[in-house]
Amino acid sequence: MKQPIVIVDHFKMQFGSTTVIEDLSFNVQPGETFGLLGSNGSGKTTTIRALLGIYPPTGGTLTVSGKPYKVDSGIRLGYLPEERGLYKKEKVIDIMVYFGQLKGMTHNAAQTWSEKYLERVELTDKRDVRLDKLSGGQQQKIQLGITIMNDPELLILDEPTKGFDPVNRRLLMTIIEEHQNAGATVIFVTHQMEEVERLCDRIILLKDGKAEAYGSVVDVKKSFGGASLDDIFLKVYGEQIEEASRA
Amino acid sequence: MANKSRRLPVHNLTTVFRFEVMRTLKKKSFWIMALAFPLLIGAIIAIVFFSNKTTQKAVSETKNQQFSLGITDKSGMITQAVFDAYKIKQIPDRVSGISDVTAGKLDAYFYVPTNLATQSIEIHANDVGLFNNSRYQSVVSSILSSSASATVSSDVAMVLQNRVKYESTTYKDGKKYDGFKQVIAPGVFLVMFYLVIAFFGNQMLTSTTEEKENRVIEMILTTIEARTLIIGKILSLIVLATIQICLILIPIVVAYMFARSQLSIPDIDLRSIPLNPARIAVGVGLFMSSFLFFTGILTSIGAAVPTAKEAGGFLGIVMIMIFGPLYAVTLFVSSPHTPLVTFLSYFPLTAPIPLMLRNAVGNLSYPAAILGITILSISAVLALGLAIRLFRYGALEYSRRLNIREIFSRKP
Repeated sequence: MKQPIVIVDHFKMQFGSTTVIEDLSFNVQPGETFGLLGSNGSGKTTTIRALLGIYPPTGGTLTVSGKPYKVDSGIRLGYLPEERGLYKKEKVIDIMVYFGQLKGMTHNAAQTWSEKYLERVELTDKRDVRLDKLSGGQQQKIQLGITIMNDPELLILDEPTKGFDPVNRRLLMTIIEEHQNAGATVIFVTHQMEEVERLCDRIILLKDGKAEAYGSVVDVKKSFGGASLDDIFLKVYGEQIEEASRA
Repeated sequence: MANKSRRLPVHNLTTVFRFEVMRTLKKKSFWIMALAFPLLIGAIIAIVFFSNKTTQKAVSETKNQQFSLGITDKSGMITQAVFDAYKIKQIPDRVSGISDVTAGKLDAYFYVPTNLATQSIEIHANDVGLFNNSRYQSVVSSILSSSASATVSSDVAMVLQNRVKYESTTYKDGKKYDGFKQVIAPGVFLVMFYLVIAFFGNQMLTSTTEEKENRVIEMILTTIEARTLIIGKILSLIVLATIQICLILIPIVVAYMFARSQLSIPDIDLRSIPLNPARIAVGVGLFMSSFLFFTGILTSIGAAVPTAKEAGGFLGIVMIMIFGPLYAVTLFVSSPHTPLVTFLSYFPLTAPIPLMLRNAVGNLSYPAAILGITILSISAVLALGLAIRLFRYGALEYSRRLNIREIFSRKP
């Protein structure tokens, strides 16, 4: 077995007196698509933020390619955060080129790449338009483009389909599959079981800051008596979902 | 679509710097703000220019204007030669004079009483408008002055007419010393600091709130170091401030070069302005350390609050701290060793103005200047460190103000 690209070892996270993650361990193999599943508030985003060094962990270690992630560690990362946003008052091409350069591309390379991407997603005519003049779906496409523009070896997508219309969702799935085929490692944070079933090799189910289930999709299904992922999700998080809907 | 000609994501400072400068320069609001002040100066210069020109024209016209004049001179001061020169009609009594004016026979009548030390000269004249009515007083004053001068020597006349010229030379430590000119070169840094903070305070304050408000922070923090972003932004602010200062200075220099006399600008030979290298060096040190300190403070505030609007509320407090000491300006000049001046000079939040002002007027000793620069430099490093930490660990607090204790309790 290859050395895991991501290792989360006895990760613990507290905010003040609130414990968000109690003791979490998992790893992600190079080239696999890994699903980080859980209901709202289960600690998925916190785990990703700690993995990427945005939050310092309260305990345990989180590494990418053998060391804690730093922006200058040489890993080509594509990260689509749950909280989406870009510079609203700038032109689409300027934002894309800026991020491309920050990710290590030359100005010309970033511009060429951006123009090809805009052509692909049918936004060429929006090249010189301010971002805030674009529709929500168009802005999502731009953000997705920025996420993948450095040909990432590790692609982390936090609730990627959130707010996407069916057309953009299909585009997203196609792009993820392209990166899978190109050998990228994909971490997919979601609670959309249909997408998990279609894309993920292995998954982890988080509940109350702990792993409720962890393994290949097939193994997890088996451990729940062969139920579908939807049923498993309802079984694990049913009470929480009901509580949330009552509230 | 993958690009193979890429470098690893290091040294992004120039990218951030260029992006921040270019996008600000592309904003209409920047140019409106940047040009508003020089345009205002230009407008004031134009108003002063035309006002002076019009006044000079009016004075000249008034001087040459002929109007009929009558005087009753009870003092006996006015000589016959003056009566003749000014073509003045001698009126025997006050009542006749006033009646000649009201009847339209005379434009003006002056009653000069016996004792000028205790009594007033009366002026009775046709109304020629609010501003032009003052010409009558000028004329009577001129008549009396000419008459008085005729009775004394030319030197005494010069003294009486306050036309004696003066040329003063002051000395300090046995050498010629022009206190006013000495202020100019080191004083430039005080003016620059004032302008930079006044024009860019708000931009410094909101420079870090944008990433937060636009929710772009996570993508930024996983792409570049917070330190790189903050330093890139600060460098861009320095460049933008320099552009702003140039835009302010250009019309002033143009006015000085081409319209000095029309604008009544003092005729100072620029080559005669003393350049004391040590005081200029102190000025540079104070300006740079003060600028960085307040940039750090304002950036920290921006990083600690969720929105630009909320950040704006703190700007007033910071401005009071910086510019409040200006109210004690006479104290800094006349009593630089009082405890209050010492406190204001070394307390980081109030130090820039007192230190730069005292350096300009020459009562800041070099040890005191070094101490001040050291305090401000250390404060600047701490403030910038705080700004980076707040941005790094507080950036994801989208909806609430940061708790400083919470930020510092986090492990790096």
